[in-house]
Amino acid sequence: MTSPNSQLDDMRRAIREADPQLSRFDPLPRIICLDDFDRGMCGWTQLVGNYEHSLDAMLPGYAQHSHAMLSTLPNWDFGSHGGVDGSYALKIATRPKTGAQNVAIKRLTFRKAGPIRLETYFTFKPEATELQLSETDIRSFGFLYDLQVGDQHGTGGNRVMPHLRFLNAENGVHLQKWQFKRETTPIKPIGTAGKTMTHYHLAPTDWEDLPGGEQRLCYNEIPTKVNWHYLRFDFDLATMQATRFQVNDRVFDMSTYDCIRIPAMKNLWCMLNIGFFAETDTDKRAFAYLDSVCLSGDF
Amino acid sequence: MLPENLTAIVARNEIWTGESATEPYEAGWAKEAIVFVRALKPPKGKLPKARIEISADGMHWAPEGSEFDLPEAENAVTFQRVAHFGNFLRVAASLPAGAEITVLVSMHFKA
Repeated sequence: MTSPNSQLDDMRRAIREADPQLSRFDPLPRIICLDDFDRGMCGWTQLVGNYEHSLDAMLPGYAQHSHAMLSTLPNWDFGSHGGVDGSYALKIATRPKTGAQNVAIKRLTFRKAGPIRLETYFTFKPEATELQLSETDIRSFGFLYDLQVGDQHGTGGNRVMPHLRFLNAENGVHLQKWQFKRETTPIKPIGTAGKTMTHYHLAPTDWEDLPGGEQRLCYNEIPTKVNWHYLRFDFDLATMQATRFQVNDRVFDMSTYDCIRIPAMKNLWCMLNIGFFAETDTDKRAFAYLDSVCLSGDF
Repeated sequence: MLPENLTAIVARNEIWTGESATEPYEAGWAKEAIVFVRALKPPKGKLPKARIEISADGMHWAPEGSEFDLPEAENAVTFQRVAHFGNFLRVAASLPAGAEITVLVSMHFKA
């Protein structure tokens, strides 16, 4: 005889698999958000840097950021590409300068320090300013969490920032591998009130190769075509450890993976921020697109 | 259902001199927009009119026809209403030698 919990799991799975929008994902029991950008920005916004008194105090890495867009992936040669389903995807575009980055962020808090699962369908490409493949023009596409323990955690609690990026190319070399980082830049105070500080966790330094993280992704023969990729990242907020990382048909070994860990800050308890980013390797805009994002938890 | 409505900051604390423009903003979903320009610092020199430009692909731009004043004092605001702009939108200005303005440019879209 099956247990009530197992029956509940079976029923939940059957309902989800009957829903085409949910069936594309494999969420944990509680869906925190299912962001389909056919419904607008769904709370994804610009990552603005910290400042006090003057915007001039913002670190240049953040000052370059701009607002994400609702995009049909329009192309000059064949028109709108569209999403996995529906017309729109969230578009993150860098400026046309080598090394430029941009980030889109969603800011949440968590209600149970347990397992969470991030799933998305993504793609990326350079701006099609040249009639050639340009497969090495994107430096990286990636994602991050910005997490902090709850205020009852006690001493030793951390702000934890898991980062993963697909290093597509660097200095024109097509590298195609997943990387992570456990170091951020030194934390700098901003202004005079003693309330604001900053660091640039997306600095180009300190990225480490994920062992076995080489992956050849699908890309097309001209600079305007894209294919959508599935990504899933499992993380446990109780242990603050990654438990699984999958892209398309590949599940990567995360035994050597770690995150940026810094002492908890006095204003960020239970923070659960998610960011996706793009970086360009040439003086040409990099575009990252998210068709949809599903964040789920076990609670 | 309420129509989609979005405020996008497309230039923040950017110093405009010479040929300047905001980054391409894709908003084909929107029927109308208002573009606001605020001067974050006292502008210098003789400011030209700003112009709205539109594009099918974000790379090839055409003047939409609307022109409007840039703000002449710190924290002054100017704006331009735009409709029927198709896909990509930007604000551009050609500043003469010696002119400079530090801008905050926001675009407010409605479907």
